[in-house]
Amino acid sequence: MHPFAQHALQQTRRYFFGQSAAGIGTAALASVLNPNLLSANTPVRTSFGELPSLHHSPSAKRVIWLFMADAPSQLDLYDYKPKLADFFDKDLPESVRNGQRITTMTSGQTRLPCAPSIFKFAQHGEHRAWVSELLPNIASIVNDICIVKTMNTEAINHDPAITYIQTGSQLPGRPSMGSWVSYGLGSPNKDLPAFVVLHSRIPGGAQTQALFSRLWGSGFMSTRHAGVALRSSGDPVLYLSNPSGVDPATRRRMLDGLAELNTDRLNTVGDPEIASRISQYEMAFRMQTSVPDLTDISDEPQSVLDMYGPEVKEPGTFAYNCLLARRMAERGVPFTQVFLRGWDHHGGLPNAIRGMAPACDRPSAALVKDLKQRGMLDDTLVIWGGEFGRTVYSQGTLTKENYGRDHHPRNFTMWMAGGGIKGGQVYGETDDFSYNVVDKPVHIHDLNATILHLLGVNHEQLTYRFQGRDFRLTDVHGTVVRDILRA
Amino acid sequence: MSLGSLQICRSILLLTSLSAGLNSFVSADDQVDFNREIRPILSDMCYKCHGPDAAERKAGLRLDGHAGATAKLESGFTAIVAGKPEDSHLIARITTSDPDLMMPPPETERKLTAAQVELLTRWIQQGGEYKGHWSFIRPERLALPAISQENWAANPIDRFVMAKLDKSGLKPSPEADRYNLIRRVTLDLTGLPATPEEVDAFVNDSDPNAYEKLVDRLLASGRYGEQMTRYWLDLVRYGDSHGLHLDNERALWKYREWVIGAFNANKPFDQFTIEQLAGDLLPNPTIDQQIATGFNRCNVTTSEGGSINEEVLVRYAVDRTETMSTIFMGMTLGCAVCHDHKFDPVSQKEFFQLFAFYNASADAAMDGNALAPPPTIKVPTAEQTAMLSELDQKLTATREELNKALASVEYVDPGAGTVVAAPEPADYIWGEDDAPAGAKLEGDSPWEFVTAPDHPVHAGTRSTRRQADAMSQHFFTGAAPTLKIGEGDKLFAYCWIDPANPPKTVMLQFNDGNWNHRAFWGEDTIAFGAGDTPEHRSMGPLPKAGEWVRLEVSAAHVGLPAGTELNGWAFTQFGGTVYWDHAGSVTKTLQGNQSFESQVAWEAADKSVEKSAVPQPVRDAIKVEADKRTPEQSKLIRDHFVQFIHPKTRLTFEPLQKQIDEMTRQRNETDAAIAITMIMADLPTPRETFILKRGEYNMPGEKVEANVPAVFPPLPADAPRNRLGLAKWLTDPSHPLTARVTVNRYWQQYFGVGLVKTAEDFGLQGQWPTNPELLDWLAVEFVESGWDVKALQKLIVMSSTYRQSSRVSPDLLQIDPNNDLLARGPRFRLDAEVVRDSALSMSGLLSEQFGGKSVKPYQPDGIWEAVAFVGSTTQYYKRDAGEALYRRSLYTFWKRTAPPPSLMAFDAPSRETCVARRARTNTPLQALVLMNDEQYVEASRNLAARMIKEGGDNPAAQMLFGFRVCTARVPTEQELTVLNKVYAGQLAHYQANPAEAEKLLVIGASPRPEGIDPATHAAMTMMANLLLNLDEAITKE
Repeated sequence: MHPFAQHALQQTRRYFFGQSAAGIGTAALASVLNPNLLSANTPVRTSFGELPSLHHSPSAKRVIWLFMADAPSQLDLYDYKPKLADFFDKDLPESVRNGQRITTMTSGQTRLPCAPSIFKFAQHGEHRAWVSELLPNIASIVNDICIVKTMNTEAINHDPAITYIQTGSQLPGRPSMGSWVSYGLGSPNKDLPAFVVLHSRIPGGAQTQALFSRLWGSGFMSTRHAGVALRSSGDPVLYLSNPSGVDPATRRRMLDGLAELNTDRLNTVGDPEIASRISQYEMAFRMQTSVPDLTDISDEPQSVLDMYGPEVKEPGTFAYNCLLARRMAERGVPFTQVFLRGWDHHGGLPNAIRGMAPACDRPSAALVKDLKQRGMLDDTLVIWGGEFGRTVYSQGTLTKENYGRDHHPRNFTMWMAGGGIKGGQVYGETDDFSYNVVDKPVHIHDLNATILHLLGVNHEQLTYRFQGRDFRLTDVHGTVVRDILRA
Repeated sequence: MSLGSLQICRSILLLTSLSAGLNSFVSADDQVDFNREIRPILSDMCYKCHGPDAAERKAGLRLDGHAGATAKLESGFTAIVAGKPEDSHLIARITTSDPDLMMPPPETERKLTAAQVELLTRWIQQGGEYKGHWSFIRPERLALPAISQENWAANPIDRFVMAKLDKSGLKPSPEADRYNLIRRVTLDLTGLPATPEEVDAFVNDSDPNAYEKLVDRLLASGRYGEQMTRYWLDLVRYGDSHGLHLDNERALWKYREWVIGAFNANKPFDQFTIEQLAGDLLPNPTIDQQIATGFNRCNVTTSEGGSINEEVLVRYAVDRTETMSTIFMGMTLGCAVCHDHKFDPVSQKEFFQLFAFYNASADAAMDGNALAPPPTIKVPTAEQTAMLSELDQKLTATREELNKALASVEYVDPGAGTVVAAPEPADYIWGEDDAPAGAKLEGDSPWEFVTAPDHPVHAGTRSTRRQADAMSQHFFTGAAPTLKIGEGDKLFAYCWIDPANPPKTVMLQFNDGNWNHRAFWGEDTIAFGAGDTPEHRSMGPLPKAGEWVRLEVSAAHVGLPAGTELNGWAFTQFGGTVYWDHAGSVTKTLQGNQSFESQVAWEAADKSVEKSAVPQPVRDAIKVEADKRTPEQSKLIRDHFVQFIHPKTRLTFEPLQKQIDEMTRQRNETDAAIAITMIMADLPTPRETFILKRGEYNMPGEKVEANVPAVFPPLPADAPRNRLGLAKWLTDPSHPLTARVTVNRYWQQYFGVGLVKTAEDFGLQGQWPTNPELLDWLAVEFVESGWDVKALQKLIVMSSTYRQSSRVSPDLLQIDPNNDLLARGPRFRLDAEVVRDSALSMSGLLSEQFGGKSVKPYQPDGIWEAVAFVGSTTQYYKRDAGEALYRRSLYTFWKRTAPPPSLMAFDAPSRETCVARRARTNTPLQALVLMNDEQYVEASRNLAARMIKEGGDNPAAQMLFGFRVCTARVPTEQELTVLNKVYAGQLAHYQANPAEAEKLLVIGASPRPEGIDPATHAAMTMMANLLLNLDEAITKE
C-alpha cells in the first residue's frame, strides 16, 4: 500500500453505525456476529462510542425494549382495582379527577362513568403480584420482573407522548434514546447497527396509531446514530441485496476495481475521507452475508421456537421479532426496540384487548425466559410498556360487557427485567381508581435516567452540544429510580 | 520565549484547541481578546449559575457583564478586580484545590484547563475588560489587509484569507485544473455535473474570461434556482405532509416553486425575506406575495383527536418563532421558552415578545387532516382561468334559457289529493355526494370522501374510497325519508375498483330494520350470511377494474318485497381499494317528495318530514304560510315544483338540467384541479400573549406585547407590531445578524463549513468565526450590494480561494485537518439530492421539467405502510411512472414521518425542524444504496448504454468516456488498466451466464435500448455501477 494511504487509514477514525473502522483487507474487525462476544465475565469496559469510558460499572450491556405503542390499558392488565366493582357506572368522583385535564375526546361527555375491568386477576409469584388473566405467560415470569405501576407523563395524545418517551421532548427534533446509546456507547459489534428497530405486524387488523421515523431518528446528531429498521419483507436492511443478475463474485470484482481506483485517488489527493469510504464498502459487502445470518432463524432448535409460539416462524410477527431481538442481543447489539402497535382501545376494549393480548403475552415472556436460560438476562435489560395509560372512566357507552378507555397520562404500568433490575417486585401504588399516583411516582424521564444508569451512564453527563446548548436525553429532569435496582 | 518555541507552542494550541471547541487561532501578541478567548470560557463554565438567568443565579454573582463581575458580593469578596488577579476572588476560586470552594464545582464535571486559568488571569491583569458579543454588534466594512502575494487576490475575499495564511506561514494551493474547476463550480451552482461537451468547451476556451463566462452561464441557468432552493427547504422545514399524527399530504409545493423562481429572478434577499415572512401584510399583496407566506405554514401540524387547541397553538407559535430566529438571526431561542436564556441575553419575557408576532396567526390548531388547511389561496393557470370563464358564461346562458322555459309553463294546481305515481320506472338517486338525509355515517374507519381529478368520481362532485387489508366497510342507517321498495324495483350502486389493488370481494348490504339482505360480487370471503339465500346472494365475478361499473340487484332477490322500506345501506369489501358512488333504486314508487301533480300536496308532504332532498331555501319558503310569502318565495317554490317535482313538466326540463349538471361538473372538476396552497394570515385581533411559566400553555404570567429583544436595535417607532414590522427589522441594514448569518450559510454551501461553523448558532455558545474580518466584510458587502444574492455567489466562486486545488499534503493535513485556514480548495461528499441528480444526469435519465407537485420515484416497498396511520392519505406509497421517476430530487415527495430512505442514507433531514447544516456521514448504507437501489442500477444500465453508443467502438474508449462523464477528467493509464481488467472479468461472467445478463438488464422502468449484445451491456452496466460508486463521482473536489 502507498505509504500515504497507509497513513491516512491509520489517522482516520470513522464509524459504521458508530463504530471505528479498520483498513481494507485487514483482519482487524471483530469476527462477524460472534456470540462469544458476550463472555460472562467481561470486566468494566470502556465505551465504544463518544464517551471515553463509562461513568460507572454497568449492570446492563444491552437493552431490549418491547414498545407497546398506542398505550395498553393498565387497568385490564396489571393495575388490579377490586374496589372499582362498587363504582360500576358511577361517575368518577371529582375529588379523584381533581380538575385534571382530559382529552377533548371525552371532555365533552356528560358523564365520566367508571368502568371496572371485566377481566379476572390473580396473584402470582413469591410476592403475590396481581396480573390479569389476559397475560398468563407474563404472569409466570413475575419473579423475574419488576412491575412499575406509577409511570407517568404529561402528554395526553399519542404523537407528543410517544415522541416524549422516546426522545425526552414532546416536539420533534431530538435524538431518540437508542441514538443516545449509539452515540455515547457505540457497539461491540462492528457489522451490525448499534440501534435496531423492529416493527411488528399488527395483530388481527386492529386499528392503530401511526409511528414516526423520528421515534428512532437521531435528531440533531449524525444520522449514523439513527435506528436501523430491520424489515420483515424484502431486504431486511434497505438495499442490502445485490440486484438480480449480480452474484457475489460479480459484486466482488466490481468492489476490487473500485477499491483500487479509490486507493489511487487517495494517493493523489490525500483526503483521508477516501480511506474511510473504502472501508465502508468492505463493510457493506460483509453485511450482505452477516445480516441474512442474523435474520435466518433456521438454526434455532424446536424447543426454543416453541417457547415463542407458533407465529415465531412468520417474519414480521411480534413473536419472530422477540426472537430476533434475542439473536441481536447475542451479537452484542446494544439497543433494540420492538414496536407492537394496536392497543388504542377507545371503544370496545374487552374484545379488542382479547385480540391483542395473546399476540403479545407469550413472546414477551418467552424472551425473558430465553435470555434467562442462556445466562444473558443478568446483563440484558428488557422493558415492556408504551407511551401512557388509559382512563378508569369509559369513553363512549358503558355496559356490563363493553367499555372503552381514553388516554391517561397520570399513571400507567410498565415492567422491566434483567440488566440490574431487581425482579420479583411491584413498585409504586396508585389510588383505587388507577387515576393518581399515591406512592413512588416514576416519570418517563426517571425511567430513561434509570435505563442509562444501568448501562453505566450518568444521564446528566451524556450530553451533545447543539445550538450552543448541551442537550441530554432527560432534558433537565430525571432521577434514577434506585429502589428498583438490584443491590 | 524564543520565536522557535512560540511556533511550537502555537501548533500545539492549534491542535488542542480544536478538540476543546475553542477557536483555532491564537494571536501572536499577548493581548487577550475578550470575545474570542474569555467569553467562551465564562459562557461554558460559569454562566449556568452566574449568567443571565436570574432564577439559577448563585451567590448573587453575575459574570456576563462588567458591572456584575466587579461588584462587591454579599460575601464581601469581589469576583474581578481590574488589573489585580491576586485580589480577584474568581481567580482564587478557580485555582483552589479545596473541593468545597473549587469552581466550577466538582460535581458539575466541568474543569478549567491550566491554559484557561492562565488566560483568565492574564485577562484580569490586562484590565478585565468586557466587550459586547461580537455578533450582536453591527458589522463594519474593514480595510483590506496587506498580503504577501498581491497577485493571488482575485477579489477582497482572497485578501482576508491570505492575511490569515500569512500569519500561519502557509501558502495557498495552486488553482485547480480546468477539468476540476468546471466540475466543481457546475455542481455548486446548479447541483448537476458538467457534461463532457461543457468540459471540453471550457478546457479549450482560451479567452482570459473563460471562467467568468462559465460562472455567468451557470448563474443564468434555471437549475441555479433549484440548487439554491434545496438548501432553503432544509431551513424552512418544507415537507409534503403535515408531519404529526395522521401525517396526511399537504399542499405547499406552490411555495417551493415560488422559492425557485425567486432565486432565479435574483430577488434581493431583503425582499425575499419580507415576502416570505409577511407578504400577506404588504399593501395589496399579489398572489405571488401571498404564496411566499407559505414559509410560515411549513411547521408540522396535527389533528390528533383529543388534542387541546390552546396547547397546540402555543407549540406552533413557538416553532415559528424559533425557526425565524434560527434562519435569520442564527439564534436558538428555544431555551428561553421555559426560562431566561442561560447563555444569550434573551430573557423569557423577550422570547414571548417575539412569540407574540406569531400569536396572531389565523390558521386553526387542528389541521383537519386536510390537504390544504386554511388560510389558502388558489393559483389557477391561465388555461384554467380561461376554461372557468367559458364555463361560467355557458352556465349563465343555459340557466337563462331554463328560466325562460320555466316562466313559459302554465301550471294549474289540480288540488291536493291528486297524487299520481311516476309513469315509468326510473333511477331514483338515494345517495349522491353524501349519504341520504338523516343518515348516520359509520364504518370501521370513517367515510372517506374524495374528489376528482385525483380520484375517480362517477357523478356529482365526490365519491367514497375505502382501502383495506381485510374485511372493511362503511355504512349508514337511520335515513329519513326511507327508500321505499316497490314491485319489481332494483337496487344499484356504482363501483370503481383500483386495478393496482383489487379487492377479493365487494358486497352491498341493505337495512330494512336488519342487515340480512346482501349481494356480493367476487369471491365468497365475507362472513356475513351463508348459502344462496337473500342474506348471501352471489352476483358473479368481481366487476371490471379501472372503470365505473353499475352493480344492480333485484330487491326481491335479497328479500326485500314491495312495501318494505330501507333506512340503511352498507358498502363492504374484502381487501383492496374500492370507490363507491351514485346509489339508489330503479323504481316508480313514490319516494317522499316525488311525483306530485299538486304543488299544494307536495308542499304539505315536504313540511311533514323532518328532512328531505328539497334544497333548504325552498324548504324555508315552504314553511312560510302561502299568503305570507313574498313574490320571490312563491316563485322559488313554484319553479322548483315545476322543474323537479311535477311528473310531466319535470321531464321537459331534464335535458337542460342535464346540461347544467354536466357543465357544473366540468366547472367543479376544473376548479378542483386548480393548485391550492397554504398561506399565512393574521386574526383580525391578535390573541393576547402572556409569558408562559415553564413554557406551559396553561400557566400564563405577565402579559406582553410584540417586540424585539433589547440587545438588538429597537423596532422603529412607526413599524407595525406584526410580522411585517418584524421582517423589516430583520432586513434593516442596522441588524447585526441577518446578513452575517446569511452570507455564512452561503459560504458553507461552497466550502462545506461556514466561517462560523455553527451556522445555526451565532450566540455566545456558537463557534468563533475562523475569519471574522472576512465574515463581516462579506456581510457589509451583501447589504450594500442591495442584498444581491447572485452577486454574492459570483463573488465567492470567482475568488482565488474557491478556485484552489483541493489536494492536500500530509503536512498540511496535519496542520489544518479541517481546512479552517483555507490553504486549499473544498473537497467533500455531495449532498443526498446531488448524488441522485448526478446519477440521473450522467445516465441521461434526468428530466428537466421545472416545478410542480412532488413526485414519487423508486422506493422499496413498505416504507410508508410500516409506520403509517391506517387511513392516512400517505399510508400507501404509489410509485409514479414515466418522467416522474427521473425528476430532480428537490421534487421528491417528502413524507415527514417516513422520508425518502435513499436520501436519508445520505444525511437528508426529516424536515420536521429547521436544519441549517447537515451532517455529512460516510456509512456502508450509502454504499448499499449506490450499489443496489433500483434507481442507481437503472442509472448504471443507462449510463452503460450511453458508453457503448457514444463512447467509441471499443470497451477501453467506452470506459474512458464513462469515466469522463462521471468525473469530468480523463482517467490515467493506471486507472484505465484497472477498468479494462475488471471489465474482462465481468464480460467473461456474463458471456458464460447469459440469463444473468438478461435479469440485470430489465431493472428499472426505462426501456432497454436495442442492438446491444446483452453480455456486453451487462458487463458495461457493472462498469457504470463501479464508476457511479467512485468516491470521486460523489465528491466535490
